[in-house]
Amino acid sequence: MKKERISDKPRSPAHYHFRLFVAGDEINSRKAQETLHQICTRYLPGQHKIEIIDVLKDYKAALTNEIFFAPTLVILSPPIQTKIVGSLNDPQKILDVLGLAKTKEDE
Amino acid sequence: MAKKKEVLKSSMSGKGRRAIKKIPTYINGLDEILNGGLPAERTTLIVGEPGSGKTVMGMEFVYRGANNGESGIFLGFEESLKSLRQNAFTFGWDFPSLEKEGRLFLLEGRLPPEIIVSGQLSLKPLLSIISGKAKEMKAKRIVMDALDVAFRLFDEPVQVRAELHQLLEWLAKSGLTSLLTLKPREYPPGSLFQDFFYSMADCVINLDTKILNQVSTRRLWVAKYRGSSFGRNEYPFIISEKGIRTIPITCFELRHKPFGQRISSGIPSLDAMLGGGYFQSSCILLAGEPGTGKTLLCSTFVQKVCQAGEKVLYVSFEESPAALIHNVTSAGVFLEPFEQAGNLKIMGAMPEATGVEEHLIKLIDLVEEMKPQHVIIDAISACERMAGKEASFDFLMRFLNFLKERGITSILTNQTTGTKSQIEISGNGISSMVDTVIFLSYIQGEKEINRLIQILKCRGSGHSNQIRKFMIKDDGFKILD
Repeated sequence: MKKERISDKPRSPAHYHFRLFVAGDEINSRKAQETLHQICTRYLPGQHKIEIIDVLKDYKAALTNEIFFAPTLVILSPPIQTKIVGSLNDPQKILDVLGLAKTKEDE
Repeated sequence: MAKKKEVLKSSMSGKGRRAIKKIPTYINGLDEILNGGLPAERTTLIVGEPGSGKTVMGMEFVYRGANNGESGIFLGFEESLKSLRQNAFTFGWDFPSLEKEGRLFLLEGRLPPEIIVSGQLSLKPLLSIISGKAKEMKAKRIVMDALDVAFRLFDEPVQVRAELHQLLEWLAKSGLTSLLTLKPREYPPGSLFQDFFYSMADCVINLDTKILNQVSTRRLWVAKYRGSSFGRNEYPFIISEKGIRTIPITCFELRHKPFGQRISSGIPSLDAMLGGGYFQSSCILLAGEPGTGKTLLCSTFVQKVCQAGEKVLYVSFEESPAALIHNVTSAGVFLEPFEQAGNLKIMGAMPEATGVEEHLIKLIDLVEEMKPQHVIIDAISACERMAGKEASFDFLMRFLNFLKERGITSILTNQTTGTKSQIEISGNGISSMVDTVIFLSYIQGEKEINRLIQILKCRGSGHSNQIRKFMIKDDGFKILD
C-alpha cells in the first residue's frame, strides 16, 4: 500500500513532473536515471513524467536552468524549489523531498 | 581605453627549437618578465596562498584581453559572480558592460547551500557551457579560478583524476589560452594533485606575500615556462587601484640617457668647483652630518631651476613640506611661490608607512604625471626605515634607474653619522648610480666652527680637489674664497 503524507497544500498533487539533466552517457547520470525510474515506478505509477535533458547536446538549457553539475534533478511538479545533484545513490532523499514515505516492502 | 591590435609575439627559445607563440597579458610589467606573454593556446597555472592575488590576476587577464579584442570566459569556483563583479569594480573594471557586449562571460561553478547532494557528480555541464559559449563568443581566453575548490566536490581521488584529465584535454583541444588558479598543498593527497597540474601546465607562476620587517610585500616568480626564456628572479608587485603593477626590473645601463647640458647649482662658486655645474640627467649626492646644510644646498638649486620655469619633484622623507619651506627661508630661499605656481611639488612621505613597492609606484606615477626635469630625494638615509637596508637599497636602485632612463636629474641627500667612511658617504651601495658626490662637514676651530665643502667625485668632468670653507647667511649659501 502506498502512504502519502498530507502536505501543506489543500490537495496532494495528482501529477509529478521531473526534469533530469544528464551529461550524455556518463555513469553518474545513468545511475540517477535508473534510480529515478525505479522510484517513479514503485511510488508514483501512472502519475509521473520524466524529462531527460542532455546538457552535452544542449548547453543553453544548462545555462538557462543554471545547471553546472550532472546529474541534476529538478522537480517541476510539485513546485518544490529544490535541486538534487548527484547520482541519487540514496533514494530516501528524494522521497523525503517529495514527502513520500517508504513502503512496507522497503522497510 | 584605445583598442590595441592583438599581437602574438614569438620568442626564439634556443638553437633549432621552434619559437612558441605568446599572448600578452597586458598586465603591467608581467609581459616583460614572461618575455612576451603567456603561451598561446596552452595552460598556465597560477599558484598561491589565499590573498596572494591569483583571482585578481585572473580577472585582469580576461578583462584586459576583452578590452584588446580577445573575448574571454571566467569560471569561478570559489567567489560568487556578484562578489567578482564588485571586486572588479574597485579596480575600475566594468564587467557588466563587457558581459552585455558579449566580450566577457562569467560563470559560477558553485553548489549553493540549498542544493541537496546525493551521490557522485560530474563537471561536464560546465564544460559543455563553456564550450558552447566559447564558440559563440569566439573566445580566446579562459580563466578557471580556484580549481582546488572545484575538486573538493568529489569524494574519490580516482574521480578527481578522471575529471581533471577531461578538463585539461578539453582545454588543450579548445584552442583557448587558459589560466588556472589554485592553492598549493590544498588537496590531499597533495602530491598527486600538484604533480598532475604542474606537469600538464606549460607555464607556472607562483604568487607570494611575505612580511619583511613588519611590512608586507608581494612577490611573483615564474617557476616554469616550457619552451621559453623568462625572468628567473622574484619580482615584487603591488595590487594598486588599477590592478596589478610590477616593479620595473633592474638596471639596464644601456637605457640610461647620457648627461645633458650643464645646469647651475644656484651657487656660482660651487659651479666653478664642479667644472661648470651639475649635468642634466646625472645623479648628485649631497652627503654630510645633520645640520651641515644639505637641504639648503638642494633648495638653492630648486629655487634656481624653478625660476627658469623648470619643474621639480621634491620627495621629503624627513620633514613635512611646510617645515621644509619654512626652514630655508631664513637663508633667503623662498620655495612657496613655486609650489603655488605648480612648478614645485613637495611630497612628504613616511618611509615606514607602506612597503617599498607602494612608495615606488606612487613616485613613478607622480613623475609620469608631472614630468619634472629634476627630482630631489631628501634623505636617502631615511629610506632605511622602509622595511630595512635591503629594501631601501632596492627602492633607490629602481627609482634612480627609472629617473636615469628618462633623463631626469636626481639630487639625493645622505645623512652620515660622522664616520669618514667613503662607502657610507657615497650612499652604501648605490654609488654606481651616483655621478657626483659633494661632502659637507664641520670643523671645530679654536674659537669658531667652520663649515666645509668638497667635491669627492665628479663623473664626466674635472673638478676642484680643494676643501673650501662656506657660510650660511641670510642671503644664502656662500662659499668663501
